[in-house]
Amino acid sequence: MDMLSNLTIGFGVALTLQNVLYCFVGVLLGTVVGVLPGIGPVTTVAMLLPISFTLPPESAMILLAGIYYGAQYGGSTTAILVNIPGEASSVVTTIDGHQMARQGRAGPALGIAAIGSFFAGCVATLLICFAAPPLAAIALEFGPAEYFSLMVCGLIAAIVLARGSVMKAIGMVILGLLLGLAGTDVNSGIRRFTFGFQDMADGIEFVALSMAIYGIAECAYNLERKAEEADVTGTIGNVWPSFADIRHCTPAILRGTVLGSLLGVLPGGGALLAAFGAYTLEKKVARPPRNFGNGDIRGVAAPESANNAGAQTSFIPMLTLGIPSNPTMAMMIGALMIHGISPGPRVMSERPELFWGLIASMWIGNLLLVVLNLPLVGMWVKLLRIPYRLLFPAIVGFCCIGAYTVNSNIFDVYVMAFFAIFGYLCLKLDCEPAPLILGFVLGPLMEENLRRALLLSRGDLMVLVQEPLSLIFLIAAALLLLVVAAPAIRRKREEALQE
Amino acid sequence: MHIRAPKDFWSGIMFLAFAATAMLAARDYSLGSAGKMGPGYFPMMLGAALALIGIVLVVRSLVLTGEAVDHVQIVPLGIITIGVVLFGVMLEPLGLIAALVTVTLIAAYAGRESRPLEAAALAAVLAAFSVGIFVVALRLPLPIWPSIF
Repeated sequence: MDMLSNLTIGFGVALTLQNVLYCFVGVLLGTVVGVLPGIGPVTTVAMLLPISFTLPPESAMILLAGIYYGAQYGGSTTAILVNIPGEASSVVTTIDGHQMARQGRAGPALGIAAIGSFFAGCVATLLICFAAPPLAAIALEFGPAEYFSLMVCGLIAAIVLARGSVMKAIGMVILGLLLGLAGTDVNSGIRRFTFGFQDMADGIEFVALSMAIYGIAECAYNLERKAEEADVTGTIGNVWPSFADIRHCTPAILRGTVLGSLLGVLPGGGALLAAFGAYTLEKKVARPPRNFGNGDIRGVAAPESANNAGAQTSFIPMLTLGIPSNPTMAMMIGALMIHGISPGPRVMSERPELFWGLIASMWIGNLLLVVLNLPLVGMWVKLLRIPYRLLFPAIVGFCCIGAYTVNSNIFDVYVMAFFAIFGYLCLKLDCEPAPLILGFVLGPLMEENLRRALLLSRGDLMVLVQEPLSLIFLIAAALLLLVVAAPAIRRKREEALQE
Repeated sequence: MHIRAPKDFWSGIMFLAFAATAMLAARDYSLGSAGKMGPGYFPMMLGAALALIGIVLVVRSLVLTGEAVDHVQIVPLGIITIGVVLFGVMLEPLGLIAALVTVTLIAAYAGRESRPLEAAALAAVLAAFSVGIFVVALRLPLPIWPSIF
């Protein structure tokens, strides 16, 4: 009953002509950037943040979300046909997918990827419907101490699950938190870290920072690597998998969906982790196991289902707790803030049309994606002929326009130039930028919650461990850190992340 | 002293530099007390934590062997950054078209295999597209032409 009325609201919003159009534009763009190596959903969402400012918040979220899950569909196309992952989350798909293409089974591989993604997308959307309201209800009860500890736990989890050195990731989180504090302090009115610049009074512009790192710095970094030759494999043929294929894949799709949905919710999770996890699991449990690595269709079905499920469920912590699990979600939060909406458990009750509209649009988007991807796959393959030398000046140009238009302030363009150099150094030093972006979004929130918690407890830090929920979050965070620190598990983690 | 893990070493130095900047700047903000946190409290805490991470990274890089830093190619990055800054300088006095064409051409030049004619065509297409999308369709407040006209 409640769910029905919620969904009615949702589809009422998502099915307006305008929003269907934005959903279509989103998934279309998502597919395009998914297919193209060298430009991903994070960059695209960053470039579109300023545009989303001109739209109503519902349409903005629908558009940006479409890019993220749309890219999961597009990424598999490149992985299967060219053996280059269009997206990081389709890396594992190249293993069996490209083998299938070489054996002349590119069609069924593409087909099962799309069918698996569609199924997983629908299930994950349903999961958001049922899991989000109770989670938000719990989160509404959180006091400042719980919130602070939850953010600590979320950031630590994001670090543990990130690739590369844990120490550097912690450093990047703290640096992100610090950068997030720049600007006028709401409590004292004092301007912090503005270094005498009048234009820094509102802090570092999130759009400029994210475009600097994911747009410009990445372009400069990509230019150094040898361009990979796109070698498109022969004909695609019939994209519909045979009935036997589908039956063979059903358990893999189901397992991928379940695991992907779970891993997507975790902080630091999302599509990437989901795909890796699902492929590893499939190799362990699928019977008979023989063919993995040599074009086993289940090696396509499982990770492709998982990455779409993970992409979708990673919206849960963002929508219910206001905590981003990956950089794309951090940008969605940035988009909401541009519209003056503070993300968190109240969004669902105060702006039901935004929350349920976004969820309903995911169903529509997934449907559109199947239509876009299966019959039109030949068209997307042609996109691969676009060389990177044409792509990157366009990215740089759009980033410039974007940085200016958020506030109509030239200063933001210079901020972007500065952080582009910084971002390039980070990439060179293997310092993952994702934790920095998460920290940046959470910085002011963490300070505010800590301040309030300590104000209530009259300065007693023990309040963080006296509230039971807060204690649980902190213990979870400590356990996570211990897990990475323990040498045995550390080796396992490196193996798992390397595979 | 020998640097065994250059990537870790320079990351540590970078964190230390940011930590020092943050803590020096935060000196001027009042700390307050835990119960009444001043504007300097949280930044100081974070600055100290970041400095600690930096020190650990630097010390560890002198003991444990790690990866070397790949060759840093300053030229493409420098060219692109100059392009971005020029866009900022040109946009308000000279308008979107001039600024965008400039940044696109400069960025294209940063690539190893740049082709002048192709880059010019790309710049023209991008300028037309951007005016169409950003100014005409989305009505963003961007000057198209030099403001003297």
